[in-house]
Amino acid sequence: MKAKPRIAIYKMSSCAGCQLEFLNLEPVLLDVVGALDFSYFVMARRGNLPGPYDIGFVEGAITCGEEIEKLKQARKDCKMLVALGTCACYGGLPSIKNWVPQRVVEGLVYSDLSAIHSTKAYSIDQYVEVDAFLKGCPVNKDELVEFIKGALLGIRPYLRPHSVCVECKLHENVCLFTSKGEVCMGPVTTAGCGALCPSNAKACDGCRGPANDANTESLAHAFLAHGLHKNDIIRKFRKFAGLTPEFSKGVEVV
Amino acid sequence: MAMARSVGTLASLALLPKTDLKGLVERLMGEFTVVGPVPKGKEYVFSPIQSAGDLALDYGTTILPPKKVLHQPFEVLFSFHETEGICEAREPERKQILFGLHACDVYAIQILDRAYTLEYPDPYYGIKRQNTLIIGLNCHQVGPTCFCQSMGTGPGMRQGYDLLLTDLGDQYLVEVGSSSGEALAAALQLFPAPRVMLVEKEKRLDEVRRKFHKRLQTTGLHELLEDNFRHPVWEQLMHQCLACGSCTMVCPTCFCYNVVDKLDLGLKSGKRQREWDSCMLLEYAQVALGHNFRKDRDARIKQRVYHKLVYYEPQFSTIGCVGCGRCISACVKKIDFTETIAILRGE
Ligand code: SF4
Ligand code: SF4
Ligand code: SF4
Ligand code: SF4
Ligand code: SF4
Repeated sequence: MKAKPRIAIYKMSSCAGCQLEFLNLEPVLLDVVGALDFSYFVMARRGNLPGPYDIGFVEGAITCGEEIEKLKQARKDCKMLVALGTCACYGGLPSIKNWVPQRVVEGLVYSDLSAIHSTKAYSIDQYVEVDAFLKGCPVNKDELVEFIKGALLGIRPYLRPHSVCVECKLHENVCLFTSKGEVCMGPVTTAGCGALCPSNAKACDGCRGPANDANTESLAHAFLAHGLHKNDIIRKFRKFAGLTPEFSKGVEVV
Repeated sequence: MAMARSVGTLASLALLPKTDLKGLVERLMGEFTVVGPVPKGKEYVFSPIQSAGDLALDYGTTILPPKKVLHQPFEVLFSFHETEGICEAREPERKQILFGLHACDVYAIQILDRAYTLEYPDPYYGIKRQNTLIIGLNCHQVGPTCFCQSMGTGPGMRQGYDLLLTDLGDQYLVEVGSSSGEALAAALQLFPAPRVMLVEKEKRLDEVRRKFHKRLQTTGLHELLEDNFRHPVWEQLMHQCLACGSCTMVCPTCFCYNVVDKLDLGLKSGKRQREWDSCMLLEYAQVALGHNFRKDRDARIKQRVYHKLVYYEPQFSTIGCVGCGRCISACVKKIDFTETIAILRGE
């Protein structure tokens, strides 16, 4: 029998919510543990084992030199490297600091800056080659499982590339935009979350980053037409994936 | 008994006092799953009802068309197993009634019937369709985006129903449209109506016909579109359109779907599923090795509009848009192809 793939889970600048989703896979957790060998998973086990690993999941944005080193080592240690969640894919929430001078933003959080030497928050593919991107804040559990199955079979998993609106309509939600007069990032955001927020009557915040044909300029114009303030529009596009070319274009419009 | 027989011989017309509607629906619910319009927020959706009181028969339109009952947004086609093979474990479908459908949606189901039951019969659609009766309801109001009148599909329903209701104030006129409808009318023991009630019905429909805000001029439409394949309007739409897919997701005549296998984690068994797909999405026309036949958004917008207004005709002998207006109301950018056609006509 083929040996179980050895898995490593790394944490960079993040809230640990994405790796927690592995443990939240309760209904299939035993199957997952049966199929994978979690050799390095600091949140979940004692006595973590050294590499090499078959698949490395990297959670978090890269925000300092130590993380760059750790990431490069991870790349060497893993056959397949996966960006786990929006921080690793796009910079995520930590990247909201990128538009404020570094020293100013550090001063907002820390009183003693002598030991702080952070960089701008970047996605991991700014530094190393990445084999797969699992979007979401946090990652979607179903997609995570689809990815694992694909990896076990050596096939490309089906991860939705289109807009959140598709899933939102498949679930027949009342549209926040056209029916409730709210604004929603769904039309330009990648689906795969099951339109989680609109299904709970909350507008999509864009946490999964740009969809495959995101027309952010046009959506920014729709936001303006809805009377949204320029700064609010900028915040919308910069909240999770402001570094991407697509979401930057939304900012440029206003 | 005598009354039932007289409806049978009258064969097409009956009256239903509105006060009797609740009782009628409850009797139907004894034998059928009744699916009708119910409120959801400020909108309406088709849903199986639990009691007659759930029905919101004054609805304008629904988010998704009743198509969703016959061709479901997500559907498991079969399950498969490494050793046991394919298992078509379909539950026996209960007979159902689609209640209170408007003319555009009934016409759209007839288009789907052609697409899914003739040249390439789709067993999943077919079995549901066989088990479904349609009780139509003629519209007495016109929504802001409706243009069925232009497409010749409404507001008065002409065919495709088993029974048809028209609101005449304190009663409904009931017309029979099929032998199943006739049997249903007989079983329900409705009061026969004199034919003169049809005049009353037409009067009501004429009032409705005067209320339309949107029009689409269909004469010479094929030539118009064929001559204007490179008109600048397509590029303008390309800049506006978000490629979000909503317009096609809500369309009652769109029939495209994607098929996905969902394996269980043991990798020995799984399910084959399908879900609605849309030609507005970038990946729709992408093939192996990555080539995409409709990479540009304007090409996709044209595919949708031309498919509805030109390409259906030779295949299904009807125009592919029923004028329900859902694609317009669902579009965040208010893209409206009745306006596009008017621009092409230089109006
Ligand atoms: S609520 Fe948002 S995601 Fe849903 S259809 Fe409307 S715009 Fe799209
Ligand atoms: S609806 Fe939008 S914000 Fe909510 S989980 Fe999905 S992508 Fe993220
Ligand atoms: S709903 Fe509107 S914006 Fe979305 S794909 Fe259709 S035309 Fe484009
Ligand atoms: S194209 Fe639009 S108006 Fe025509 S049937 Fe489809 S959703 Fe309705
Ligand atoms: S090709 Fe497009 S417009 Fe035509 S049925 Fe399919 S999704 Fe609808």
